[in-house]
Order: sequence, then C-alpha cells, then structure tokens
Amino acid sequence: MIENFLAGSAALFGDPFTIGIFVFGVIGGMLFGAIPGVSMLTLAAILLPFTASLEPAQGVMLFAVIYCTGTYGGAITAILFNIPGSAENAPTAFDGYPMTLKGQSGKAVGAAVLCSAIGGMASALVMMAATEPLANWAIRNIGPPEIFALVFFGLAVASSIGARTIWKGWMSVLIGLLIATIGQDPVGGINRYNFGIGDLAAGIAFVPAILGFFAVSEIFVQAEKKASGKYKAPKVSMTFPSWLELWMHKVAVARSVVVGFLCGILPGIGATLAAFMSYGEAVRWSKNREEFGKGKLEGVISAETANNAATGAAMIPLLALGLPGGALTAMMVVVFQMHDLQPGPLVFMLSPDLIWIVFAAMFYANLSILIIGVVETKTILNLLKIPFQFLAPLILMLAATGAYINRGLVLDVIVMVLAGIAGYLLRRSGFSIPGIVLGLILGKIGEQNFAQGMQMVHYDLGTYFSRPICAILIFAGFVTLCSSVYRAFKSPKSVEE
Amino acid sequence: MNKLLGTAAFAAAMFATSNASAFECKRSEASFDKPDGFPERALTMIVPYGPAGGSGQVAAAMAEAVTELTGIPINRDHKPGGSGTVGMTAYMAAPADGYNVLEHIDDASSAHALDSSLPNPAEDLIPLVISQVTFSQVYIRSNETRFTDWPSFVEWVKAQDGKATIANVSKEGSMERVTMGFITDAADMKIQQISFDKGAPRYGALLGGQVDALFEQPGDVRNFLDAGQFKPILTIFDERPEAFADTMTHREAGMDFEPLLRFRGFYVHADAPADRVEWLQWAFQRGYCEDSYQAYNESKFMTVIDSYRDTDGAKDLITRSVAQYRDVYKAMGLEVK
Repeated sequence: MIENFLAGSAALFGDPFTIGIFVFGVIGGMLFGAIPGVSMLTLAAILLPFTASLEPAQGVMLFAVIYCTGTYGGAITAILFNIPGSAENAPTAFDGYPMTLKGQSGKAVGAAVLCSAIGGMASALVMMAATEPLANWAIRNIGPPEIFALVFFGLAVASSIGARTIWKGWMSVLIGLLIATIGQDPVGGINRYNFGIGDLAAGIAFVPAILGFFAVSEIFVQAEKKASGKYKAPKVSMTFPSWLELWMHKVAVARSVVVGFLCGILPGIGATLAAFMSYGEAVRWSKNREEFGKGKLEGVISAETANNAATGAAMIPLLALGLPGGALTAMMVVVFQMHDLQPGPLVFMLSPDLIWIVFAAMFYANLSILIIGVVETKTILNLLKIPFQFLAPLILMLAATGAYINRGLVLDVIVMVLAGIAGYLLRRSGFSIPGIVLGLILGKIGEQNFAQGMQMVHYDLGTYFSRPICAILIFAGFVTLCSSVYRAFKSPKSVEE
Repeated sequence: MNKLLGTAAFAAAMFATSNASAFECKRSEASFDKPDGFPERALTMIVPYGPAGGSGQVAAAMAEAVTELTGIPINRDHKPGGSGTVGMTAYMAAPADGYNVLEHIDDASSAHALDSSLPNPAEDLIPLVISQVTFSQVYIRSNETRFTDWPSFVEWVKAQDGKATIANVSKEGSMERVTMGFITDAADMKIQQISFDKGAPRYGALLGGQVDALFEQPGDVRNFLDAGQFKPILTIFDERPEAFADTMTHREAGMDFEPLLRFRGFYVHADAPADRVEWLQWAFQRGYCEDSYQAYNESKFMTVIDSYRDTDGAKDLITRSVAQYRDVYKAMGLEVK
C-alpha cells in the first residue's frame, strides 16, 4: 500500500499541470462549498465537459479533490451566518452558529477545519487499505432494512436537541417527518400533499428548507432584537481551539470517523446521513444533552469529522463496484465514461495508476484543508464585522439565490420564505429547528428504505428482527426512545432553558 | 391482459427496426439555412432528470453534437423530481420561441396515458428526434448457483411461493411495473418487486445478494456486464439482438406480449414558429449522426437496435405507446383520466 501511495504521490506532484489541477480543485471546492447559492456540484457540473480534454487520472482526481474540499467549505457559512453550504453542513450550524453568537466563532471554525481534515484523511487511509473488501462487505450486509434501522436509531435521539422540552423536541421531529412526506411516495410514485402543484411532486427540497429554517428565521430573530434594542453583534474571535480542548474530544472524533465512514460506504447515502447520524450519536453519548444546539463544540466536531470521513468512504463503492454514493460521485462515473473507463473491479486491474493518483490526491486534499483552512479562516472571520443592517439583506439575497439555483424553481424560494417564517414562530415557541431538519432529512431517507425493506421482507415486520444488524439498531433505538420518555416524565422541564 | 397489448402494426414496426445495421445517417443535408438568423443565441435544454443519469448523459451528448454541428451553444437546465413532471411543467411554462428544447423519456408518454390532462409528447410537443430506443432485460449475478437461465429461474421463483425478489423502478404505471406484470402473468409466477429509484442502490442490491434478480436496460448496466458481474437471462424484445445472441427472448420463453421500449428524445413546444422547428429538427436529427453522438450511443448499447426516430417516426412510436399503456392501465384497473 505504501509503495502504491508513494507512486501515486510522485505521479501527482511530478507533473506541473497535474499539480495545477489539484490546486484548482482544492481552492475551487472550498470556494464553491463556502459561497451560499452555489455548491461543489455547481462547480463539478461546470467542469464536467472540460474533463474530456484531461488525462483520465487528472479528470477523476479533480472531481475527488473537489468532493473533499467542497464538503468542508460549506461549514464556514454554516458557522458564521447559519447558512449551511449544503445539507451535509446543516448539523454543523446546529452548534456552530450559536458558538458564533457567543463570540466563539474562531473556535468553531478552527474545530471544523481540523476535524474535516482528520475525518477526511482517516477515511482516505482506510480507503487505500481496504477498498474492495469493505465494499463487498457493505453491499452484502447492509440493505434497505438496515439503513432504515440506522435512521430510526438516529431519530430516536433527535428529541434531545435544542427544544425547550422533550415533548416539544418530539413535536419538532414529527413536524420534520410530516414535511418529508410531501411529494411522490418513494416506491409507488403516488402524489401526496402536493395540492395539484406539479413542482411539489418532487417534494420539499432540502436546501431551500434548510436555508429558510436556519438563515431566514435567524434574520427575523436578530431583526426583532435589533428593533427592540437587544441586538448584540457577535464578537469576532480568532481564538482557535486549544490542543487540550481537541484532545478532550478525541472519542467524539474517533466515533465520528467510524459513523461517517459507515454511512459514506453505503451506495446512494453519502455525507448527509453521515453528518446527521454523527451529530445524533454525539448527543446520545453525551452526559449533557441539553447543551447541544446551544453552542457545544462537540456538535461541530462530530458533524464536520463525519461528513468528510464519508468522502473517502463514498469512493469505496464507486471505485470497487461502480456504485456512486451521491450526486458528485455519480458525476465521477460520467468522467470515467468520458475516457472509456468504467469504475468497478476492472479499473483496479486495468488502471491501477489512476486509482492511486486519486487516493493520494484525496489524502493531500484533506491535508490542504488544514493548511489553507487556517489561512482562509483568519480572513473570513472578519466578515462578521459587517453591520447587521448590511449583512442581513446580503444573507437573504444569498439564501434566495441558493434556494433558487439548484432546480431553478420559484417554488423553492417560496418554500425558503415559508420555512423562515415558520422557523421564527416555532423557535419563539420553544420548538427545535435542528429537530425539524433532522426529521425532514432522515425522514426522507428512512421512509424510502422502510418501504423498500418492507417489500424485501414481504411486509412481515418481524423479519426485520431476523437480520442481526437491523435488530440491534432497532433495539438500541427503542432503548433510547424509552429513556427519553422516562426522562420526560421524571423531569418534564429537564431540558428547559 | 396479453390480448390488450399493442397491435400487429406495432409489432411489425418493432420487427422492422430490430436489426441493427451499419450506421446510415437518415438526414443527408450537411447544412441548413438559419430562418431569419435563428438561433442568434444559446439554446436552453430542460432536462427533467439529474446530470449523471441516463437522461442527463444523453442530453449532454446530444448538446455537444448539436453544438459541434451548428456552433450554437446549448445550456442544460436540469429540473429533476416527480418522475419527470417538474421538468415537464417548467418546460411547458417556458416561452415557445424555439430557444427552449426539452429532453424527455417514455415516462412522458405513460404519464399522459394515465392522465390525459398532462402534455401529450406527440401533440403538445413536436419531437425533434428520438435518439435512444432500447429494450429491457432480466439480470442475475454471474456467480449465481441457484439458477443459471430463464427456465431455471422461473422454476426457482415458483418454488419460493412469492418470496423471490427483483429490483426495478416499480413506480405505479411505469414501464418496469407494467412489463413485470406481463412477465409474471405469462410465466404464472409471483415475484416481489423492490422499487429503487436510483441506479446505484438498485445494482448494489443485486451485487450484494439483497435481491435475486434485476430488471434493467443493458446500457445502464454495461459496466457490470463487461466486468462479468451480471448476466442477462431474458431479453424483452421480439428477437435476439446480436449483442445478446445467447439470451432467450420473452417470445421464446412462451410470453406473448408486445415489449414496451424505453426511449429518450428531444422536443420543442408545438406552438414554436414552424421555420424554427424545421431548423431544430435538422440540427438534432443531424446531431444524431455526429461521430461523438454515435460513439456515445455505442457505449450505451444503443446501437444494438435502431435507436433513431425522426419526427414522424417519433410521433408514431409515442402514439402507439400511449394507446398501449392506456389499454394496459385499464386492464390493470387503474383510473385512466
């Protein structure tokens, strides 16, 4: 492995043009990930036709690098402005933005930089060591019932995040689950709650909903404070987390690498589930659950470690089996095909050089996050100095652009505004915005896999419990649920602010 | 149900097109005068699916070919969701000035068959060209030991008493679900269809043994076929395509139904100016002949049968498909509006 890695590194850095492509990918991914309104997918779509003129290794490597740094890039705006660059950065905002409001933006961004790099590099190393066996294990042992059980396990803890009471936490999750049912049902294609609006057949898209619930509702909250004279501009803090603080979170980092990796390896799942599941696990294992959603460093660490850990893992089914884990890896299939290659077992035999250049590039791209991220952060944090009256319209404009640009639908902008108003009112009433977003995102994934799983087990729910991984996850989820209900009865105000 | 399936003319049309032959461009004019300078700017192509799927890829290949031919750039605007309805709605709301074109698949025809208030691709739109026509197959893992061909598969499925599974895109009224209905009726077997809307989990389910078989089109699983991981055991087409000479057809397996085909094509609004439509027809039909597009089609097994339909041929294919779907839906007891 080391010999191959060194050979891949030598090929990567032995050619100035290849180095140029690598640097372009690193910076481009970070920028497109960080700027609300565009994403790494936008950059990838723009670049797709141009990769035809590159060498195959250069084209695939470019997309792999964009994937790594783009996943990190969205964390910055999530932390500073409550605008997640994409769905996988939404859990970062749960605690990252409250940290900014507390004047701890530097600490949050620093943790995001470091943990993104650690998560990405760790998964790159595992990817290099065991791509083929891991891919084969995953597709043999993890099917729709297991993914549903994983989602159920994740949702079981969601009531604890950010709500005034556990009951309101559960209501928040249920609201999210209800929103997730809008649109065509995932297996039969039957329209639900679309009220004859054709565009709603596709359901509520994640990005507009997230932008509304987070960014727009926050603008309303801050505007209200401004109008009532209670507004305090967040302090700009350049203080990064200390080594001691990071060392204290070593278990969270290790757990997030594992969770992120396991979610990322599943075909069609990817980094979004990884980030949400990892955040949920951080809450589950914490002795101070009530602190999550209010500016806890561990929340940022868990989400950012996991979503980058998923990037390396997502390459495993892609390269070993030809199964892309998400939109960007699906575009990478096209890059392969443009060069008359097919990702899958044959590519390891026919193009080992390409594979090791890509592996090496992903490792160094994650390392670059650490180096460039620190420099970039020192500059970006100064954006917080912009007065609210200028910053708020700018954020609204960027959020509206971000909501519209993905599908080009005005409906998505309307959804964003409505989510913003609803989010503002729900927050005032003590409901949890993270809980709603968790319900929305995990609900869509969970419903689809539950329906597929039910078809697979011939509508015999008991069969779920004959699958060991599935049974363990469901049992653990029920234990968490019961514990949550017990705590609610024992101390109804236990999580009250 | 079989009696309702298609017409003799449809069958004849399919037979007439089933033999892939050396490529011959059906549109001979190498150039075509622009009507009043049209187009003087880039065209927009609305694609109702994501950029990485079959539609996204064929849209990219055709856009590249037309641009090579005419020098006119084509911006692709992907509007995925709702089985193509979001993109179709957006297209119908776009100006009918010839600058907006649409990529769509046979789902538009089946959707119209189920609900006539939805656009009819043969009347509300003008097909510029259908550039991909393909058939479906049933696949198993190459290392499968429980069954090795269609007869042994059917025997095994019957022995499972409804517990066998097949992965496909079995949305209500879809080509996949309808065809599977034909197959199970004709073979007198029960098989549980597992619906996966994305390709990766669908193919992973077969590779990992989560399902017993897969219903798919050959171009979409070419890498698995080339890698020797999947093996076709049934071709749902009236005769054996040369590339799959060893695989029996549904006719040979004793199933007497007309195959439903997957087709992808390009359209313009029926109200677009006639001279502009004429130029677009030339550009897209001639684009089909470009080397780059032909190379793409070949890589996707789209030259195994005749993938080309000009406007009239496309209208004919769509009209027959709509009628066929409508008959089948009624027979299935679905509410046909």
